[in-house]
Amino acid sequence: MGAPFDISYVFTFLPKLLGTLGTTLLIVGCSLLAGIIVGFLVALPRLYKVPVLKTCSEIYISFFRGTPILIQLFLFYYGLPEILKLIQVDMTRTPVLVFVILTYGLHTGAYMSEMIRAAVQAVDKGQVEAAYATGMTGVQAFTRIVLPQALGIAIPVFSNLVIALLKDTSLAFTLGVMEMTGKAQTLGSLTQHFIETYIALALIYLVISFAIEKLLLLAERRLLRHEKRSTAEIRSFKIHKNWSYRRIIAELGPGKGGAGL
Amino acid sequence: MKLDPSFIWTAFVQILSAIPTTLYITVVSVLIGFVIGVAVALIRIYRIPLLYPLAVGYVTFIRGTPMLTHLLLIYFGLPVLIDGLAAQFGWSFRSVSIPMIGFAYISFSITAGAYMSEVVRSGLLAVDRGQLEAAHSIGMTTPQALRRIVFPQALAASLPNLSNSVIGMLHGSTLAFTVSVVDINAKAQIVASTNWKFFEAYLAAALIFWGLTFLIERATSVIEKRINLYNRGGVA
Repeated sequence: MGAPFDISYVFTFLPKLLGTLGTTLLIVGCSLLAGIIVGFLVALPRLYKVPVLKTCSEIYISFFRGTPILIQLFLFYYGLPEILKLIQVDMTRTPVLVFVILTYGLHTGAYMSEMIRAAVQAVDKGQVEAAYATGMTGVQAFTRIVLPQALGIAIPVFSNLVIALLKDTSLAFTLGVMEMTGKAQTLGSLTQHFIETYIALALIYLVISFAIEKLLLLAERRLLRHEKRSTAEIRSFKIHKNWSYRRIIAELGPGKGGAGL
Repeated sequence: MKLDPSFIWTAFVQILSAIPTTLYITVVSVLIGFVIGVAVALIRIYRIPLLYPLAVGYVTFIRGTPMLTHLLLIYFGLPVLIDGLAAQFGWSFRSVSIPMIGFAYISFSITAGAYMSEVVRSGLLAVDRGQLEAAHSIGMTTPQALRRIVFPQALAASLPNLSNSVIGMLHGSTLAFTVSVVDINAKAQIVASTNWKFFEAYLAAALIFWGLTFLIERATSVIEKRINLYNRGGVA
């Protein structure tokens, strides 16, 4: 299958693939932004238990988490123009990239809202009560007290979501978007050096996700700098459960006991 | 092209025939992935020399690259490797005799293995160290203690993550269409393009996936209730 393996092609393909890195990052960036906005809008009714909206956002989350992103891509690409045709909106000239970003945005939004919900609920209720006691309004308490704390708790999950999103963008080629995977397939069939292209492709993805992980780890350290670092103390006094308790709630490894087995 | 609600049902019935393929891919990759995951997790926890950096590299590479690239690398790389070895050693086996779905099985198992290893590892670390020490103190060997004491508890602790991984693999199996395996997604494409009704077909496929995911979640919550019986707390 294809031409014989030649490692030097990996290096010639790297710069060619990097040329389309912009498109991939554009998709990631835009859908991340859309996802955060959607995530907040969807999480709020669930956090404040707004009757009808709560059910709507639950159905939304269930759908986007319950179906594969690939199916969602096709569904939006083919379905949205037909639905919008009913209300006299013509979408035939809309670029594919818009559909892709929209789908990824909504998909990430569902996961973001779960993340936001878990992080906000992980903030001690006493914090909000204390904020109210000092005379803050609901909005003030949320933006000044809850949000900064929730942000630090949410970062590890956020980091996973961003990396998952980056990897999911490799599916955009199915709709004909020329991002990295699409480019790799063209390069592969052009030169018949499939293995080398995909190795180069994998390397680029690996480096980017590694960088994202490290960057967000730094952000986490910065945001949680007011928390205690030492875990020894927490283990001996069960009342100081802040740190480990929050981690469990935010669906992270609690890292309790067992280390070293 | 107008929306045709009745076709959703037609497509639904036609796509149903592809469910077994999707489930086969999911189940096989989850099972093999679980075995790989346990092995990798143990290597990482016990820091076995030589194997440890390999295991870390494997998990980092797989988790840092999209599932699609694994599939494509296996699909294009494995035949070259096998044919090369076969020519070298004079085997009669040729890569042509690997069925298409075999590539999906192999690649998805490798993918699942890396994710599973993280799930298993966090589960094992969630079991209190005292449990292992207590098992040692009543005279169990380490394999005994792992099998009888630690693994059951770790399984209970990692069940939610496990179910997420299964759902992830179920959704990931849609990629199998790139190696021309007819799973739910590929079947939806076929139904869509033969009838020129894309929206309806994909809607039916989405509904099927939604249903399957829902079933997995239900099943997990039932198992979770059963498996955590010992952990109720309180008296009696």
